Amino acid sequence: MNGFLYGVVLQWKLDIRSKSLLVTCYIVPLIFFLLMGGIFTSVMPEMKSTLIQSMIVMSVSMGAFIGLPPSLIETYGSDIKKVYKANGVPIYLGLGTMFLSAFVHLMISCIMIMLLAPILFEATLPTQLPFFLLALAIYIIVSLSIGSVLGLTVKNQAKLTMIAQLVFLPSIMLSGIMFPIDLLPDFLEAIGRIFPASCGYRLMLDHGFCFENLWYLIFIIFAAVIVCGTVLKKQKAK
Amino acid sequence: MNNAIQVCGLKKSYDSNIVLGGLDLEIEKGETFALLGVNGAGKTTALECIEGLRKYDSGTITVNGKMGIQLQSSSLPAHIKPMEAVRLFSKWNKAKIDFTMLNALGMKEIEKKQYIQLSTGQKRRLHLALALIGNPDIIFLDEPTAGLDALGRVSLHEQIRKLKLQGKTIVLASHDMAEVENLCDRIAILNTGNIAFCGTATELTDKIGEKYFIHIKTQQGNSTFETDNIEDTLISLLNDLKQKEIHILDIKVDRGTLEQHFIEMARRETE
Repeated sequence: MNGFLYGVVLQWKLDIRSKSLLVTCYIVPLIFFLLMGGIFTSVMPEMKSTLIQSMIVMSVSMGAFIGLPPSLIETYGSDIKKVYKANGVPIYLGLGTMFLSAFVHLMISCIMIMLLAPILFEATLPTQLPFFLLALAIYIIVSLSIGSVLGLTVKNQAKLTMIAQLVFLPSIMLSGIMFPIDLLPDFLEAIGRIFPASCGYRLMLDHGFCFENLWYLIFIIFAAVIVCGTVLKKQKAK
Repeated sequence: MNNAIQVCGLKKSYDSNIVLGGLDLEIEKGETFALLGVNGAGKTTALECIEGLRKYDSGTITVNGKMGIQLQSSSLPAHIKPMEAVRLFSKWNKAKIDFTMLNALGMKEIEKKQYIQLSTGQKRRLHLALALIGNPDIIFLDEPTAGLDALGRVSLHEQIRKLKLQGKTIVLASHDMAEVENLCDRIAILNTGNIAFCGTATELTDKIGEKYFIHIKTQQGNSTFETDNIEDTLISLLNDLKQKEIHILDIKVDRGTLEQHFIEMARRETE
């Protein structure tokens, strides 16, 4: 196994040991799923067809916006980043390993939701499974890209907690996963569309995999890559 | 080429604050060399520039050999285990794991602990082990024994001496003068970004140690006398004690410690 792959596997283990990603990728989303899944499907039985997508948006948003950034601050806001330079490895390696590790954690959590929802709440499985999984992967990447920007640009944990909540809460409240986005006042609907959760949610719905729902997510990935690249380049130049 | 490291005219400033003002330094192969200086003198900046961890404004740095850098005790993730860090560093350096070296540094005893659970001494030993991965020729140690108890210091000094015997070049930054005096062949004292002195501890004593110190232990206690004229002071002291019928238990004459000379040098430089 080469250094990069070993780093990803090691990071995956560290994430579980550190508890922060364990809580934000698994424990809280799965408890939320178990509680809200029951409430949603009993109050509004029609939600059975979108329950998996709704719960996945919540899980991914939590893991990416609240779970990933603290790990990045721990590395890039401290002396840990010197380890990369001292060993002649690129400074973006840490971001790469954390990103991939979080991706795997979120994928596992989402697949657990996808498998449990039909059994526990009679939720409908997506009919176009390959497109659904592709949309899920894209949405996880987009959310982790935003989490990466937060982790690299915000300099301390206290500020990060506040800013992460400012991204996380509108993402789940205004994306249409709790109630149809059309029921929101116009200005809240407009705000909701700024956050990628609404696009991601629509992309994962049956027959939702189309350019209209995809272009904005791809735009966010590119923007995040540019921001992260610039921040890391600045760090390297120091 | 006998030099492991050669630094010429190294300049580094942070905005208008000049930290290194044209540093010149030569460190020979196989030498144990210490970089001393009061806080803010530029030691860490100089070391980090040489190590390649920090960019500098101008000057040249030539390093002949593979470097191993012992980083500070905050440079690993909190939950990593020592052997995981060793494996990761080995893969990055494409080096085989030297279990003999790891056992000598006591890594076996701590392999199941997480980094956050290690004592300061254990962390220092782990960072030394990580610096030695890939069998480097030049080893940088930044305050290697800071925060260690006496036993931890002795154990780490032993490891450093073993490395010296293997022919490694060791560059040390430390505030512990006794450690430097014990381990190093030569020292450089940095002051406001320039070398105020470079040579052996004896050469520093010759330069700064103008006074003699007579330490006398009697049944009445310990006394230290400072003098410029060793012979006259010693004779007069002995006569005085004999007249008073005070028995001498121990007597020692020196020209001051490295620490005293360092303080004196720093004082002169700031005047």
